[in-house]
This record gives sequence, structure tokens and C-alpha cells, in this order.
Amino acid sequence: MIPKSFYYKIGVIVIVLICMNYLYKYTYYEKDIQTHSEVINGVRKVVKDSCEVVYVGESSNTNCREDDIDKRSISAFIGDYYPTLRVGDITKPAAHAEIFYLLLKNIPESSAVKTVIVTLNLRSFDANWIYSSLEPQIQKYAVFLRGYPPLVGRFLLAFKGYDNRSEAELEKMYKHEWKTIELKVPFPLKNKTVKEWDRAMFHEGMKNPDGSKNYKLTELACHYIKTYAFQIDTVKNPRIKDFDNIVMLARERNWNLIFNFMAENTEKAQELIGDELIFLIKQNRDLLVKRYHRNGVLVVDNLECVPNNQYTDTTWTTEHYAERGRKIVARNVADSLKRFYPNHFF
Amino acid sequence: MTFFTITHLINLLTMLFNSIEFLLFFPIVTLLFFLLPHNYRWMHLLVASCIFYMFFIPQYIFILFTTIIIDYLAAIWIEKSDEIKKKRYLIISIISTCLVLFVFKYFDFFNHNMLALSHRFDFYYPEKMIQFILPIGLSFHTFQSLSYVIEVYRGNQRAEKHFGIYSLYVMFYPQLVTGPIERPQNLLVQLRQEKPFQYSNLIEGLRLVLFGLFLKMVIADNLGVYVDQIYSKPESFSSLSILNGLLFYSFQIYCDFFGYSSIAIGCAKAMGYNLMDNFRNPYLSSSIGEFWHRWHISLSTWFRDYVYLSLGGSRVKIHRWAINILVVFILSGLWHGANWTFVIWGLTHGVLLIVEGLVNRVFKTQKDKGQNTIRKIFNTIKTFVIVSFTWVLFRATDFTQVKLIVKSLIRNISVSDDFSVDPKIWLFLLFFITLDSVLLNNRFDVWCNKRHLTFRWSLYIAMILMIIVFSNVDNFPFIYFQF
Repeated sequence: MIPKSFYYKIGVIVIVLICMNYLYKYTYYEKDIQTHSEVINGVRKVVKDSCEVVYVGESSNTNCREDDIDKRSISAFIGDYYPTLRVGDITKPAAHAEIFYLLLKNIPESSAVKTVIVTLNLRSFDANWIYSSLEPQIQKYAVFLRGYPPLVGRFLLAFKGYDNRSEAELEKMYKHEWKTIELKVPFPLKNKTVKEWDRAMFHEGMKNPDGSKNYKLTELACHYIKTYAFQIDTVKNPRIKDFDNIVMLARERNWNLIFNFMAENTEKAQELIGDELIFLIKQNRDLLVKRYHRNGVLVVDNLECVPNNQYTDTTWTTEHYAERGRKIVARNVADSLKRFYPNHFF
Repeated sequence: MTFFTITHLINLLTMLFNSIEFLLFFPIVTLLFFLLPHNYRWMHLLVASCIFYMFFIPQYIFILFTTIIIDYLAAIWIEKSDEIKKKRYLIISIISTCLVLFVFKYFDFFNHNMLALSHRFDFYYPEKMIQFILPIGLSFHTFQSLSYVIEVYRGNQRAEKHFGIYSLYVMFYPQLVTGPIERPQNLLVQLRQEKPFQYSNLIEGLRLVLFGLFLKMVIADNLGVYVDQIYSKPESFSSLSILNGLLFYSFQIYCDFFGYSSIAIGCAKAMGYNLMDNFRNPYLSSSIGEFWHRWHISLSTWFRDYVYLSLGGSRVKIHRWAINILVVFILSGLWHGANWTFVIWGLTHGVLLIVEGLVNRVFKTQKDKGQNTIRKIFNTIKTFVIVSFTWVLFRATDFTQVKLIVKSLIRNISVSDDFSVDPKIWLFLLFFITLDSVLLNNRFDVWCNKRHLTFRWSLYIAMILMIIVFSNVDNFPFIYFQF
């Protein structure tokens, strides 16, 4: 049988660990945060700078083209319209709404923040992003954002106590969705699933003027299908839950909330694939815009407002815009901000 | 046809000993084990082992069961048959078990070499390759199965009639993936014994698990960062940094494998099962021969008992003895991996052992006198240095990398680089070396028994804290998983 002393010893260990939690907090915790979750610095900065408006986004905020004269971010351009307001940003490449939510949760209630602008990226609802190979890395740095006691956070990091699915496993998941989820549209669709559609495009291919197959364009077209051919399931899609959480948090904190629906290269999608894909993109946009309008969020719909020549990546689908593109998005957001700050717009 | 690499294999692994999944799996399995009556325990452990294995590639369990069925039936037939048939069944069993190993582990290696030969000697060989993901722990459980059939053939072990118990012998989850490679006389017998709950077993088991996690997560994984750095671009590092890398790898591989073995032994011990030791202060060996008595003991003794002694061992003429040694070590190298670097690594150790054996024969009288302390220290350092250098062959992915390491080590004396080691790492290493030296032929759990309660618990708490606070958070799978 287990002697009584065993339970005492376990008790001692627990007490020691609680003490060690504090010791860790004041010694190595900060170093670990800087190594594994430096994104928290963005939160600290907006708090320290007493920012009233916070822009939360991924690489689309800061990415620029080499020939841009003004290489500043979208959030900086927004700030230009409101010189009397302090506009800060928290930017983390490849992040999605779950991370945005955790970052916002880390803003202390006592901060000066009044308005939050959150990037709403359509692609982040797609299986390819949900099950991206970057996800374990994202979940890893999210551990310290979740508000566990410091030592518990470090324990979870040490023992991979986060969604640490392997690359192969994640690949299996999104491929499964591509294969099994049927696209339901009110017109006849030749290919019912992403897999069928992608395969058909690959076999048919994009053509050069001389009729030969253009492999680069075919690859890009396939990529557009895999990225945008989906329909958001509001029950199962994890991003919906994340954005809903952001809405709840904003309500709790009494923040003005703006969702910045990022522009996608619909021009290119139309050119490569055609109406069927555009229908799906717009269907998803309408769903999100309506859903969050209903929830009292101001959604800035930028979906079609950036022209093809303003996208910096020509062989891939991203929301990386050149200077004019960023300025268009910033202008639209700034316009909608007038609702909260009519006297500050410049 | 799919092409897979070791990286794919590693990416697929999910339930590692140092994962949160295992921290839940282990206590649940152990608790249920003691809650169940003895008659149902084998079933429970077998199911747990299947779950553990299926965390990898679930379908591969069929491969494992194929070898289990083959060897289970072969052993029963061997026991029933006369001498001639007995041998026939043994050969069939060995060939079919090794065939599975060959297909999954060596087929691609064989193909590559045949293709290279076809280019060299101008004959046709089809270029298509099939590369499978190596079923996890295949080399380990294949050897464990073989040891059973051979022992039955030799009459040292009765054939197990209970298919479930035999399956459990091959699949027993603590040692399924990376050993220790058990013998039927030890494990199979224990699986039939009733294991009542014993507090001392539980505590000793937990101690070993803690020790193993410390070795793996604090020492091996932290050293691994520097080793990977050196091996990824050896030409840009100075000779001193490369020496550092070699030293670190020696301890990385030791702590990695010793850590795994300790966790495996500890998990089994908590349920009352005693698995054989795999390491006994190998880096304190004063000769290569002694090193092999202390390093990966379950594999060395396997080769000794089933290959070396079958070939005649040392009771043959000297040239035959040398050949026996070479055969054993080349096979041992090949067992580790389907790559020529492993073969040459094994061969190098074989040659070193032969040279050592010859020197010992010539200077027999001096050896008989015993070694004084200074000579022993010198020999220990010499052995460690030799072993560390041979690890280059073990760690390198190919001979180009080996060449680069050696070249850079010789030429880059005056090169300056930005290789810097966190002082903490040296402290951890020092702590481990001290602990390892203090343990001296004792297992950590047994050694702890002799220590004062305060010291013991301070050590546990220090280790727990070091695991939580200083463990490396990157994905470093156990090195021996790839074998």
C-alpha cells in the first residue's frame, strides 16, 4: 500500500512548485517570453504608448513592394488620417484570429485602448490555412499568451502540451477536406469537390497563345482553386469561433470593434478560374459581413478594392499589397473610423 | 509510389515519452493495470501497447503482427519437431522475420547500391525505387522475436502457447520502440507472473522516468541544438568549435538513448517488471572492449549470444576470431541504419577491437598486473576520444559530411566563428558527468535508495525544475527512433 508519507511528499512538491512558479516568473520567464512569444511585445508597446486605436494584423499590414516610395504599414497610413489619436499596431506574420484574440486578451483592462481594428482574412477560413504546417509553431508561441501560471506555460512548452500535430497529419486533414467536402452552389458545378476541380484544372491547364500548356499559370490557377474554393461552415470552422470570441471580448471591454476584411485578388481569380470561384468568394464574404454586422461589428469590406497590379506576390495568393493598395485599404478603414472619431479625422 | 524520408518519419511520431500524451497515458495504463485482476492484465497491456504503437502509423500494426504470428508458430513447431525439422523451421522463421526487416529497412539501400553497380559495370537495373516509412522500432522487435525463436531452438526456453502473452512479449509498450531488446527468459517469464502493487517498485520506476526525462530533455536536446549547428555547415566553424560539437554529440547520443532506456525501464518497473539495463557508465570504459560491455548492453549481448558465439567466438584461431569480430560489428553497424556510414562505423569499432585484442595478447603480462590509476585515467580519456571521433560516422548523413567535418577540423584552426555555448549548457553537462560518475555501476533508482531523504527529494525537485524550465522546446525525437 501507499504509505501516508507519500502524500505528504507530493504535498511538499506542490508547495515547492508553487514557490518555484514565482521564482521562475521573476527570473527566466521574461527571457522565455522573448524567445518563444515575442509577439507579446506588440501588446506591451500599445499599452506603453497609451494607444487609443489598435490595429491587429498579420503580414498584410507591413508587407511592401521594393519600388514603394512610402513603405509604411496600413496601420501607419490609418494613423495619418487621425493625427490627434495614438494609433498602434500588433503585427504577427501568419497569425490568425485565434492569436489576435489571445493578444487582445493580454491588453490590460486599464489600458487606454478604445478601438480595435482586427484583420479579417478570408483565406484564414480555408482548410489549407487552418491545417497549415505553420500551425504548430503558432500554437507554440500562443502558449504563453493563454494566461497560465508561468511555470505551467513552460511545462506545456516542454512537453508539447499544445496542438503539435505533425506536418503529415495536418496535410492529411486539409487533403481530406478537399476530397470530401462538396461545394453546394445554386448552379451546375462540373467539379463537386476541390480535389476534382484542382485535378480538372491541372489536366486541362491554362494555355499559352500558341495553344500549348502554360505550366506556371496552371499551377497558379490550381492554387487559386485550393485557396478560395470553400464554403464557410459557421458551426465547424474554428475561425468563426475565434472571431466570435473577439466580438465577446470587445463587448466585455467596451471597445469599438472594426473587422478589416482584407482585399483578395479577385481580378486574377476571375481571369484564371472565372465566375464559379468568384461566386464562392463573394458568398463567403457576404456570410461574414452579414454575420458580424448582426453582431454589432463594423466590417470594412475591402474584398474587391485592390487592383491586380497592386499585389506584390504574383505566383501565390497573399494579401500583400504595394503602396497604393495599402493606402486604399487604410483609407477605407479610416473612413469607417469616422463613426467613432468624427472630430479627429484629418 | 511515395517517397519518404527520415524527416517524414519523425514528423509522424506523436506519442513520445517526453510528450503530454505520454504523461497521461503512462499513469492511466499503470493505474488500470493494478485495478484489474491478474488474468486480464495481459490483455490490458496488449491493448495499451497496440494503442501506443498505433499512434505512429496504425496500419503498420499488421506488419508487427505478421512477424509475431510467424515466430509464434515457428517456435511451437520447433519445440514439437525433431532435429532436422527443427533447424528447417528456425531457418524459415529467421529468413521470414529478416525479410520484413529487409523490405522496410534495407530495400531502398539495396536498390541504390545495385543501381550504382549497374552504372559501374554496365548492366540493366530498373531505376524505380520504392521507399517505405520504416515501421517504428522494427529493428528492435525483430531482434527480440528472433531471440525468442533461437532460445526455443536451443532448448533454453519453452515455446509460449498463449498467443496474447507472446504478442505482449514482442509489443510490451515501454520497450517496444527502442528497447532494451529483451530475452524471453527474462520478460516472457515475468509476463506470466502476478505482479502485486509495490510502493517501492512504483517509486523506483518514477525515479527512473524522472531521470530519463532529465537526460533527454535537459541534456540531450539542449546539446542537440549545437550539434545540429555544427553538422549543418561544418566548413564555417573553427576546429575548436567542431571539437566542441563532437564532444556534445557524444553526450547527446548517450543521454538521448540512456534517457529513453531509463524511461522504458522505469515504466516497466512501476508495474513490477524488471527490464535489463542498457548502459553502465560507458564513457568510463578504459578500452573499446569494455565500452561495448557498457554501451547498449541489450544489443551487444544479443550479437554476442546469437552471432559471435555461434561463429565460434574467441575459441578459434586468431584470424577466424578477427573475422568473427568484423562480422559482428559490420552487422551491428548495418542494424543501426541502411547507410554505408553505419557500416563503416561498425567496421571501425571492429578493427579497433581487433587491434586492442592483439595488443592485449602481446602485452598480456602487463595487463595481468592490473592498471594503475594514472594509466586507467589515460586509457579512459583515450577510449572516450576514440569513441567520440567514431560518432562522426554515426551522426553524419553521408561521407561528404564526414569528409567536411574531418577537413574542417584539421584546416580551420585559425578560423574565427560565432559559435558560442550558453554557460548553462556547460553546467548541465558538468552536473550530468558528476552524477554519472557518482552512480558508478549503479542504477539511478537503486543509488537513490542509499541517499538521505532530504538529499533525494532536493535532487528530484531540482530535476523537475530543470526539466520544466531548461528543457529544449523544439522537436528533437529520440535518436534511436530512426533505427
